[in-house]
Amino acid sequence: MKIIDVISTANSNLLRNKSRFILTILAVFIGAFTIIMTTGINTGVNGYIDKQMASVGGEGYLEIMPASTMENLGGGGLDIMGDGDVKEYSSEKAATEIEFFTQKDIDKIREIAGVESAKAYQMTSAEYIYSVTGEAKKFEIQIGEMPSDSLNVDMAAGRMVDLNNGKAEIAITDKFIEPLGFKDAENAVNKEVKLAVKNQMTGQTTEVGATISGVMNPNVVGFGRAWINDAAGNELHDIATAGLPDEIKNQSYFAVAQLTDDYLTDEKVTEVKDKLKDMGYSAMTIEDEIGMMKSFFDAVTMVLTIFGGIALIAASIGIVNTLFMAVQERTREIGLMKAMGLGKGKIRLMFSLEAVALGFWGVVLGVVLAFVAKEVANHLAAETFLKALPGFVLVKFDIITLIVICLIVMAIAFLAGTLPARRASKLDPIEALRYE
Amino acid sequence: MADIVISAKGIHKTYGKRSTSYEALRGIDFDVEKGESVAIIGKSGSGKSTLMHLLALLDKSTKGVIKINGTDATKLKSRQLNKIRCLKFGFVFQQFFMNPRDSVLNNVMLPLKIAGVRKSQRKRRAMKALKIVELDDKAKNKANDLSGGQKQRVCIARALVNSPSVIFADEPTGNLDSATGKKIEDLLIKLNEAGITLIVVTHDEDLARRCSRQIHIKDGRIEK
Ligand SMILES: Nc1ncnc2c1ncn2[C@@H]1O[C@H](COP(=O)(O)OP(=O)(O)OP(=O)(O)O)[C@@H](O)[C@H]1O
Ligand SMILES: [Mg+2]
Repeated sequence: MKIIDVISTANSNLLRNKSRFILTILAVFIGAFTIIMTTGINTGVNGYIDKQMASVGGEGYLEIMPASTMENLGGGGLDIMGDGDVKEYSSEKAATEIEFFTQKDIDKIREIAGVESAKAYQMTSAEYIYSVTGEAKKFEIQIGEMPSDSLNVDMAAGRMVDLNNGKAEIAITDKFIEPLGFKDAENAVNKEVKLAVKNQMTGQTTEVGATISGVMNPNVVGFGRAWINDAAGNELHDIATAGLPDEIKNQSYFAVAQLTDDYLTDEKVTEVKDKLKDMGYSAMTIEDEIGMMKSFFDAVTMVLTIFGGIALIAASIGIVNTLFMAVQERTREIGLMKAMGLGKGKIRLMFSLEAVALGFWGVVLGVVLAFVAKEVANHLAAETFLKALPGFVLVKFDIITLIVICLIVMAIAFLAGTLPARRASKLDPIEALRYE
Repeated sequence: MADIVISAKGIHKTYGKRSTSYEALRGIDFDVEKGESVAIIGKSGSGKSTLMHLLALLDKSTKGVIKINGTDATKLKSRQLNKIRCLKFGFVFQQFFMNPRDSVLNNVMLPLKIAGVRKSQRKRRAMKALKIVELDDKAKNKANDLSGGQKQRVCIARALVNSPSVIFADEPTGNLDSATGKKIEDLLIKLNEAGITLIVVTHDEDLARRCSRQIHIKDGRIEK
């Protein structure tokens, strides 16, 4: 028998029992579809992060925090649930453990070779913002001190805040243009706004003026925060902490540093990070942070992909079952073909091909419906939760990944087919013909 | 002496092992000449089908030698055995064994497909075979929709489609009434007269009588 005939026979055999064929394919489809979609989301999300981060800049920018803080953030998971071991208190440990930065700490960091500048990062917050020129309606706002001028942010108009400017500046997101009463982004530049800050002891609110240096396009840096410069940050901080003891006033949980231009290579950055580690700090570059974000998404999509894999395993059992039934039903036919001189190898091939075809049609259905689901999901996402992030395509398919998934599914199907194929090829023609 | 197509020497066939073993054939010697028609007759359970399966190389004897055109079949690889069955032999069975949901034409083309004959030739040859059994007008019909006699004629077409040198038939008229059986007999005898060697297992005395030679099997031996 010619190979082409083996293939066409296998294919037409599949259609003999259509409902069984469709059900088996559905099982394969569920697994394949799940995997295609999760890897598609992974590609979409990571692609967006990469694209954003490529434009972020931040070369030589380090975020530094005490190593213990980092541990609490990352490693302490179950402690929060009260499941941690009881530890004996050690005053020694407590003494060496740095929990916040003092001016002395910052000075020490500055002395490290390759560190150009370092500063304690103050957490600032504002109660509300309003435009002096507009209607004076008050709006809640999330603000943050711009940590470094090495970070690039896509501006719709104007420029990012100038960290060296002694005058208070703020860069707002484009969402605030209309509420604050501006015609457009250009119109907002150089306008005056007021920020209100609450004193931590008295609760009294004080307003501070700032100039809008520019308007930002939607972006992931700072997740929609408005950025202020040091001058504004210091002013807000002073008001917020007025009356507090100096020790508490100057407490800072983060520090940021900028490396000199000759310290931007990976080895040099690692060298500085190692030195900081020896001092009891943990430092992260922008790349490290992206890495953390990506590995989080990778973990989530991995779990979903595993579910898809489990569905595929279940589907492959379905394939085994379907083909065993087919061998049973076609016992006589197989016997007859063997009597007529069809070799074992061809019969085995025929059933293996039927298995591969089941996998193939299942995965084709998966790909087709995944493309439909992709369009729907991207459309819905763009209308809803990704509205603020234009250019963020939630699901993206990578052709190589798709091909690899198809091949893997067909390989699994092929493996599932080996058992029934073996049984069919081993049938004794005489017994098969006697089979009632 | 005429050409010997199949020769059997000292054939024994034992089914099963030890306690449940049964010796179905107990020393068979016999030759089939080219162009002969041989009827194998005997009581039920005497070993007729067993003998035919061995001669058709569908099964292996426990003891003894079967030669096809002078070559020892026991020494052949399964690939070569398949080739002989595929190109030189044709089969007709009592229960037809057709693919009921497939068309008559496709059923007849099956041996050609197995032999790897080109698609363009298959149809032509199958139609020719169907013409011989006078069923060319039913080529497009579903095999299941035919009567028993028609089914067996399709099976004969299928057996002769690859122009075999030997046709094996195991009780070809066993499932048919005498009138339709007669038609099958005529067909087989006609094929034999056209030069195809015929080996037929039968209970039908009429068919047996029309064969050039009758072999009586009793308890796994040839009755003299
Ligand atoms: N696979 C087998 N295992 C065990 N015994 C078998 C097997 N096949 C056949 N036999 C036995 O061998 C003997 C001969 O069987 P065979 O089928 O050759 O008989 P037969 O002459 O064709 O009979 P019938 O006319 O009823 O078809 C029988 O007794 C049968 O029970
Ligand atoms: Mg029999």
